[in-house]
Amino acid sequence: MEKIVTVNEVKKTYGKGNQKQTQALKGISFEVEKGEFVGIMGASGSGKSTLLNLLATLDKPTDGKIRINQADVTKLSGNKLADFRSREIGFIFQDFNLLENLTAAENIAVPLSLQGVKGKDIHRRVAEVAKRLSIDSILNSYPAQISGGQKQRVAAARALITQPTILLGDEPTGALDSNSARDLLDTMEELNQKDQVSILLVTHDPFSASYCQRILFIKDGVIYQEVKRENQTREAFYRQILSILGNLEQ
Amino acid sequence: MLLKLSLTGIKERLRDYIVLFSGLVMASGIFYMFESLATNKAFLENNSMISSVVLIFHLGTVLLSIITFVYILYANSFLMTMRQKDYAMFMMLGAKGRKIAQLIFIETFVVGIGATLVGTLLGIGLSSIVQQLLVQQLAIKITHFTAVNTSAVVFTIIFFAVIFLLAALVNAMTIVKKPILNLLKASETPLPANRKFVTLILEVLAGILFLGIGYFMMIQVTNLAFLALVVALVTIILGTYFVFHSILIFVLDILKRHDSIALKNLNNFTLSQLSFRIQDYTRILSMVAMLFALALGAITVGLGFHNEIMKMTEATSAYDLVLNNGQNFSASDLKQINATSDAIYQQKEDNDTVYYDRAQFDQTPLRTKELTMSRQAKKVAYTGEQLANDVTASDQLRSLELPEQSAKKHQFLTSEAFAALPSSATELRVITVADFTKDKEALKNLANENFRKNPTLDKNMSSMNQKVLVYELYNALFSGFEFMGFFLGIAFLTMLASCLMFKILSGAKSDIQRYSMLEKIGTRRNLLKQSIRKEIGILFLVPGLLGVTHVLFGLQMFKTLLSDPIVIFGCRF
Repeated sequence: MEKIVTVNEVKKTYGKGNQKQTQALKGISFEVEKGEFVGIMGASGSGKSTLLNLLATLDKPTDGKIRINQADVTKLSGNKLADFRSREIGFIFQDFNLLENLTAAENIAVPLSLQGVKGKDIHRRVAEVAKRLSIDSILNSYPAQISGGQKQRVAAARALITQPTILLGDEPTGALDSNSARDLLDTMEELNQKDQVSILLVTHDPFSASYCQRILFIKDGVIYQEVKRENQTREAFYRQILSILGNLEQ
Repeated sequence: MLLKLSLTGIKERLRDYIVLFSGLVMASGIFYMFESLATNKAFLENNSMISSVVLIFHLGTVLLSIITFVYILYANSFLMTMRQKDYAMFMMLGAKGRKIAQLIFIETFVVGIGATLVGTLLGIGLSSIVQQLLVQQLAIKITHFTAVNTSAVVFTIIFFAVIFLLAALVNAMTIVKKPILNLLKASETPLPANRKFVTLILEVLAGILFLGIGYFMMIQVTNLAFLALVVALVTIILGTYFVFHSILIFVLDILKRHDSIALKNLNNFTLSQLSFRIQDYTRILSMVAMLFALALGAITVGLGFHNEIMKMTEATSAYDLVLNNGQNFSASDLKQINATSDAIYQQKEDNDTVYYDRAQFDQTPLRTKELTMSRQAKKVAYTGEQLANDVTASDQLRSLELPEQSAKKHQFLTSEAFAALPSSATELRVITVADFTKDKEALKNLANENFRKNPTLDKNMSSMNQKVLVYELYNALFSGFEFMGFFLGIAFLTMLASCLMFKILSGAKSDIQRYSMLEKIGTRRNLLKQSIRKEIGILFLVPGLLGVTHVLFGLQMFKTLLSDPIVIFGCRF
């Protein structure tokens, strides 16, 4: 299988020269293959947000390499980095990060207009992705007028519209009620299985994690354990995750 | 303890407080600047020939008060959004509502009064700087104006104290009455106003109508006088408000519907940002447009008078210097000026006649400036032939002569006949220079020298022949207006920039969030910068354009005064 993300011995230390140094990541390596649905779990302070920021190219590692779709992202900067982010990475954030002065459709269209796609194509692709995520009825509403679940779907549509190499989710269900969360996760699973969208999900919620095929547990800046769902039912996988989390916190 | 806590709160948000404080300081500073003129009756009455100028300043005070009031309203709500979360937290931790109300009352009032005092000082400083600058740069003479004006100080402080007292009361009441939860959540973004298309269209029409009436009144100001001013003031303010509230939103809406515009780069975001901004900024943008109109109007009037001085000076005389008995001036006397023409007409006289050599006028005709029916100054040149036959022409020559000569008859002789006359010749010299402004001082010396050498010349009457003296006369006459215009123009421009900067800076926090969001999804930095530049540019440009339009119509009011000053200052001609 094609490897789309390669993380090699990545370290991240915070604090400049004379300040107190905190090592958030102490050498992490893993790979994500095309079409995988990978979860990263860990308690607060485990380093999972740091890892996500590095993968999202919002921050640079102190040491080590990160390759996304063959490109060494630690070497990119400026416009190249911005373009890379807009082409290769789709984001879903916990707090949606929608622009509240644009309608849902306009929010979804932003990445395409940044890439210089023609107006006609933009309309077509927005309609397609909106249909895929069942948000066609709210396309002309502003974020403040729709529910949390709908907002997250809009955010997902915005992330997917560029057909990125990988979809990064940062606690995407964190601000949702349980029904909306389940809906969103079902949709993500479907996108992963039917459309081969590669997904990397950072979460501390075992229910969200149970949708993944593989989970990396991070503790104190290193990978503590890795589990695969394989042929288990989601319920069984969920229980397995719970028991690992139990051990993790001992 | 609570006081200490609230002070640490201020420290943490020092940047925001600096924005707030400097905004308020500018507001009171400019208010003082205006009042230093408006409350100075002696200056106004001494420096203007129109009685209505005091009235215009009263209207100005009303307008500026409204603008300042709205400004402070904004500043106050900025203060509240900064602080209410902190205060609500203190209340959640068990602080008594009354105590908190007291604290916020004191905070608002102290910040306000502090800013007013600093602002008044700043106003005094600005007034004297602007005064000196104008006096130096424009070479104008100012009487009855001092930067420190007690009644302006008192008026400014009382005005601001009252407003801040009100603001402090309102703030204290809000904090106590609002549920704590609402206070904690207060800074969340409001819902976009969902406006009906029909209402929008109606408002667009109303805006156009109001502006139309206002502009019509401005044009009709000569017929309707005071009524036109008041009606125009009201309708133009309303019209300006609607332009921002509706017309601009309407235009942005149309732009957003065009895919080729909206779906390019960040345009859609920029347009939406503007559209939201403008709805939020309606009042401040209207104010800015009005301020811009006032500033531009004032400066144009100032400039108009400045140019008028030279224009009217030019109209009085064709020569820059007239020397009687020119034979008494040596070449070295004239070295100080850079003469482009120096005509010498020889004169011989007996008891009742002054004789001229006709050929000298044929060679260099006598130039004069005469007023046409439409009150334009026209250049005319007279040859010896014309002078001999035309009484008006020879009167022009007479006006340049010494008093004892101008009572006599003129005779224009052939060169031979002129040479044959027994008496000795004197000279009438008329000179023009390359650069009047540059040679002003030297010309003045020579003109005074001419008076000294020809004691029979009447200083009052013959001054009109010497261009430099005419210039000084007009300069003294118009300087008051010129000063008022430039002084107020500068004051209003500063206020305008401060208003807009204040609003933009105070909204920066929520903007930063949006831009970082866009950056996260892969927007190039230069695109973000471009978007910010476009947005701020338009926020300054639109009120600017509207302001210019206001001024174009508003100047009708001064047009009568400027293009036909002879009617008002006439009598001399």
